[in-house]
Parts: sequence; C-alpha cells; structure tokens
Amino acid sequence: MRKLFFTLLMAVTALLFFNFTTPGGEVKANDSNDKTIEIPENVQTILDNSCYGCHNSDSKNQKGRDKLSFDKLNSIKTYKVIGKLTDIADVLNEGEMPPKKFLDNYPERALSDEDKETLKNWATDAAANLAGK
Amino acid sequence: MKKTIWLLLIGIVVLIQLIPTGRPESTDNNPNDLIVNNNLPDSVVSILQTSCYDCHSNQSVYPWYSYVAPVSWLVARDVRNGKEELNFSEWESLDKMKKAKLIDDIIEEVSDGGMPLQIYPLMHPEAKLTKSDRQMIVDWAESYGESLFE
Repeated sequence: MRKLFFTLLMAVTALLFFNFTTPGGEVKANDSNDKTIEIPENVQTILDNSCYGCHNSDSKNQKGRDKLSFDKLNSIKTYKVIGKLTDIADVLNEGEMPPKKFLDNYPERALSDEDKETLKNWATDAAANLAGK
Repeated sequence: MKKTIWLLLIGIVVLIQLIPTGRPESTDNNPNDLIVNNNLPDSVVSILQTSCYDCHSNQSVYPWYSYVAPVSWLVARDVRNGKEELNFSEWESLDKMKKAKLIDDIIEEVSDGGMPLQIYPLMHPEAKLTKSDRQMIVDWAESYGESLFE
C-alpha cells in the first residue's frame, strides 16, 4: 500500500515536472537569425483569458487585430516582434489594456496585478532576448 | 476703464515672457546622429530633416514666434515630448532593442498619419507629408528594421 502510494506520488511529481519544463508554445521569428521566443504556459493562460479574444487574426475587432495578432507573431520580422512586445509592456504600464469598456462587459477578463507583472516580465525579457541581450 | 484693461493685458503679456519655457537648446554637433552615421537615401534624409527633425533631434530650428509666450510654451512642450520619445541625434547610442521598437513605432505613426502632429504643418507647410513621402519613410524603415537582425 505504501509502495503504491509512493509510486503514485512519484508519478505525479514526474508529471508536474514534465509540465513545468515543457514550453507552452514556441514562436519562431521569421528572420535570418532564426531566433525564437517562448510563451510559457502561465503566460499563455493569461493571454488566452484576457487578450487573445481581440488580438488574433480572426478577431472581429479590426483595431485589435491590426495592432497585434498573437497567432501571427511567428510571421512578422524580428524588429516588429520587439516592437509588439515592448508595446505590450507599455500598455500594461499605462493601464490601457484590456480596455475599460471591454472589462465592463467581461469583468472576469480583468488582469490581476500579478498577471500584469507576469506579462510585462515575459514581454520585456522576450524582447531583450530577441535583441540579443 | 477700457484703458486700464488694455494696460493690464499688455502687462500680463509682457510678464509671461519672463516665465522660463524649458525650450531645449539646439546643437549641430551630434556624433550619434542617424543621418550622420548611416547611408540613407537623399529623399529620406530630406524628409526627416524637413518634417521630423524640429522635434525629434537636437537640431530644432526655432522660428521667431516660438520665442513669444504663450506659443513658446507649446513649442517647448512639443519639442521636449518629441525628443523624449525619439531623438534621431542620439540614435547610435540606443541599443538594438530600442532601435527595433522605435522603427516599428515610426512605421506605425507615419503610415497611419499620427506624425507629424497636425499642428506642425500649419506653420510649416513644407513639412506636410504626401502619400509617397510616407511610403518612402516606411520603405526605408522596414529595410532598416530588417537590417538590424541580418
């Protein structure tokens, strides 16, 4: 019984480990340097909940789509990816996104302070990484 | 009565001239300048100098009215803000990340008409950008942006 429990515990631990070390999704910059940025699982979850609805290439929100489509990050030039990532950090700092109007209708889509920090850190680090810093 | 009001008004206009404007000083010695350090097409150089450099470089040319308050305050504010966002005179001192971000911003501002500010061509008609001017800047910026990572 104890052995079974131990095995189970090991299995769960191994699973957890596996989950944490697998990148949530890799985005490849279409560029001669062939650099990649990673979107970790925790970042992806936040993006899915609060950003992706407008910021994808099938979005009905044209402005959101034009400004930033997360699914197209892999097909734009590196300098543009850096521009987008820096913009993400900026709009979060300014509290411009998600828009207030949107949050009035979907309060559950709001970003907590912790979410914002996670996104900002990810965006800033990913941009620095692309720039080779 | 009317005379008093006029005198008061003139007094105020004279007095506000004494308020410091915080207008940035211009200088022609800019070793880190974008144009100085890069082989840009003449057309691009000309557009940048005519339509951008008054606020986005250390080489602002201040017309006479920019020395007269209250206009001087507006000019000083626009130049300060402009240089804070982007100063072509300091271009080479920026790291790659900042350059990439600014190039992306330039493309966006110039292609959707955000820049030059609408008030600027009112007094500088020559700074007005035609569609083909805008395209020239965008084309140059795109190739410069790509060259950063080649």
